[in-house]
Amino acid sequence: MMESIGTDAKPMEVLLVEDSPGDVRLTREAFKDAKVLINLHVASDGTEAMAFLKREGGHTNAPRPDLILLDLNLPKKDGREVLGEIKESPTLKSIPVVILTTSASDADILKSYLLHANCYITKPVDLKGFLNVVKSIDNFWLSVVKLPREVR
Amino acid sequence: MTAATRDISERKAAEKHLAQMEGGRRLAEEALRESEERYRMLLDGVREYAIFMMDPQGQIVSWNAGAERIKGYRAEEIIGQNFSRFFPPEDIERGRPEEVLRMTAASGRHEEQGIRVRKDGSRFLASLTFTALRDPNGNLRGFSEFSHDLSESKESGAKYRGLLEAAPDAMVVVNQAGEIVLLNLQAEKQFGYHRDELVGQKVKNIIPEGFAERLLADGLRSVEDALAQQIGTGIELTGRRKDESEFPIEIMLSPLESAEGILVTAAIRDISVRKDAEEHLAQMEGRYRGLLEAAPDAMVVVNQVGEIVLLNVQVEKQFGYRRDELLGQKVKNIIPEGFAERLIADGTRTAADALAQQIGTGIELIGRRKDGSEFPIEIMLSPLESPEGILVTAAIRNITERKRAEQHLVKTVAELNRSNDELQQFAYVASHDLQEPLRMVASYTQLLAERYKGRLDSDADEFIAYAVDGSNRMQVLIQDLLAYSRAGTNGKALRKISSDNALTEALANLRATIQESGAVVTHDSLPLITTDGTQLAQIFQNLVGNAIKYRSAAVPNVHISAVKNGGNEWIFSVRDNGLGIDPQYFDRIFVLFQRLHGQTEFKGTGIGLAICKKMLERLGGRIWVESQPEKGSTFHFALPEKDGK
Repeated sequence: MMESIGTDAKPMEVLLVEDSPGDVRLTREAFKDAKVLINLHVASDGTEAMAFLKREGGHTNAPRPDLILLDLNLPKKDGREVLGEIKESPTLKSIPVVILTTSASDADILKSYLLHANCYITKPVDLKGFLNVVKSIDNFWLSVVKLPREVR
Repeated sequence: MTAATRDISERKAAEKHLAQMEGGRRLAEEALRESEERYRMLLDGVREYAIFMMDPQGQIVSWNAGAERIKGYRAEEIIGQNFSRFFPPEDIERGRPEEVLRMTAASGRHEEQGIRVRKDGSRFLASLTFTALRDPNGNLRGFSEFSHDLSESKESGAKYRGLLEAAPDAMVVVNQAGEIVLLNLQAEKQFGYHRDELVGQKVKNIIPEGFAERLLADGLRSVEDALAQQIGTGIELTGRRKDESEFPIEIMLSPLESAEGILVTAAIRDISVRKDAEEHLAQMEGRYRGLLEAAPDAMVVVNQVGEIVLLNVQVEKQFGYRRDELLGQKVKNIIPEGFAERLIADGTRTAADALAQQIGTGIELIGRRKDGSEFPIEIMLSPLESPEGILVTAAIRNITERKRAEQHLVKTVAELNRSNDELQQFAYVASHDLQEPLRMVASYTQLLAERYKGRLDSDADEFIAYAVDGSNRMQVLIQDLLAYSRAGTNGKALRKISSDNALTEALANLRATIQESGAVVTHDSLPLITTDGTQLAQIFQNLVGNAIKYRSAAVPNVHISAVKNGGNEWIFSVRDNGLGIDPQYFDRIFVLFQRLHGQTEFKGTGIGLAICKKMLERLGGRIWVESQPEKGSTFHFALPEKDGK
């Protein structure tokens, strides 16, 4: 699933790995007011996410994401495994991964950072909080931060 | 040479020959006299043996120094007397002296050991050898007697005697006629006689019944057989002293081969002490039996070799034996392991010590009934001084029921723990998983409210508002439930922390509330304590937060203090000047989601005190409140100080 937001300048490619359509839609809504152009790609489970990243299956033409938003509790391959595989891959490990999950457990937080997550965010339970978080991601990761360019 | 001359010469020669013969005879006579003299002197020189000669009728014809010493007669008073006077009267009566001479004459030599009487009437055991003296023609010329006092023999007799004297018991050696031939000092002491008064006397004098009879052969058995049956077994009889007083004795018989036939050695033990003990025990038994029978537990009294000496009716019931089947039997029969062993002394401790270690402690063992079935018991030991030594009283309790109850309890506790864990897990999972769909409901109703407020009709706006409010409240409830379920499980390890720091942390979290309300929060110096600092901070935060939240019209004034109580507990107190609480609600306020005020008055779910209570339970503490409406409240909580300081 691909979608372009905005028209001018080179859009940022963002992969959202999220199984809840409600959350996907909320994220999409939040990115509507983004400062930069965002191409939001969605994988609804871990297996699909890895296929997207490796350009396998139906994802032969998938772009390399500039940022990955990864939920931990996913069907099939879970988020921790996906994180581990990304960070072990010489070609994928330079892509920043933001963990965006409902879990606030210390164990999950520690595990994620040990697997080299770039940051860990617990989804706020209220709408305003959630919108603020997505806005912050947009503001920080997609505007403030210099991301690596793929060297071909 | 003439005939006369020849005659003369012949006569002379004859005279000479005669003279020579005379001389020779004289010489021979002298030599004989000399040898006789030497022989007499030799015999006289023998002091250890009585040696004398008798004519064929037993009249004494010679007497040496040894005879004088041993038998007490001087030569001039005894020569010419009959040797029968050396025998005890009873032997004389039965013709024993004549018999001895007859046997000697018949065989030429006769040896025996026997009782003899000295001049002073005292008796002794003598070893005697009689020899028949005959002339070259074989005619009986008389007898010689060699004898010595066995009691002073330096040889085997002495050894035997030494052995006798060394024995701790009174010992008498008795011949088959029932006469005492030897005795030791202990026998003298026990029976109050002088040795001389007993040797040669009937043993019946000191043991009137039961001993002499045992020495007699009867038609059915030989002496050896009769004796053999008695050997080694202790026979309880009665001894009689010289003063005719009687006392209980136990005798042990053993045979002693001797020239005179089989002698019997009897070891005689005065068992009056033991008999007293037995009587005492019987008395005690009488006295304690009532007590014992009244006891609710099975009770046995056991001696140190592990034999049951006393028991009560509960023992019969519990173990299925009749009393007489247990008395005198090993306690191992009913308690196979762990009891008898405890009575035994070993190299490093005495029986008393071994026992002392066990006294008063309940020992769990297995009891075995007569039918072989086993059941759990608890025994309590206590020592019982008795003349027989220390006895042990064991109270035996059948703990089948208790064991069953214990097992039931263990099972129930395990069950309870499991269901508690399950509940905890349930609460966590429910609150966590409920959050997800609820977040959707809340987010989208909020999105709806944001995007469409005023664009639908007023009813829609109102309905959406209630939906948003409801989902928000439910989110708070679920979060509180999650916090509550974590309070009992998510704690940290206990370590020494400053409760001052915990309070500081709590107050930092409450900074906005404190500033907004203008509350004055003061505290005493608070102690170091071993506990979970994070949870303690949470407790302070909830209590101080409540103190400010439920304030009266006055400026909130909150004071925190801590005192050590008598035990190893710190009592923390959070005192406020707020609304106060009606005592009827004291219990209710600590229950999950129980509130005394409506949402419009004070917001909240009623989780704070429930969480405090749960955390304190985890930390081994407790919480309670003192309050009066409108007079403020003081919440106290106690925490144990693990160091005990």
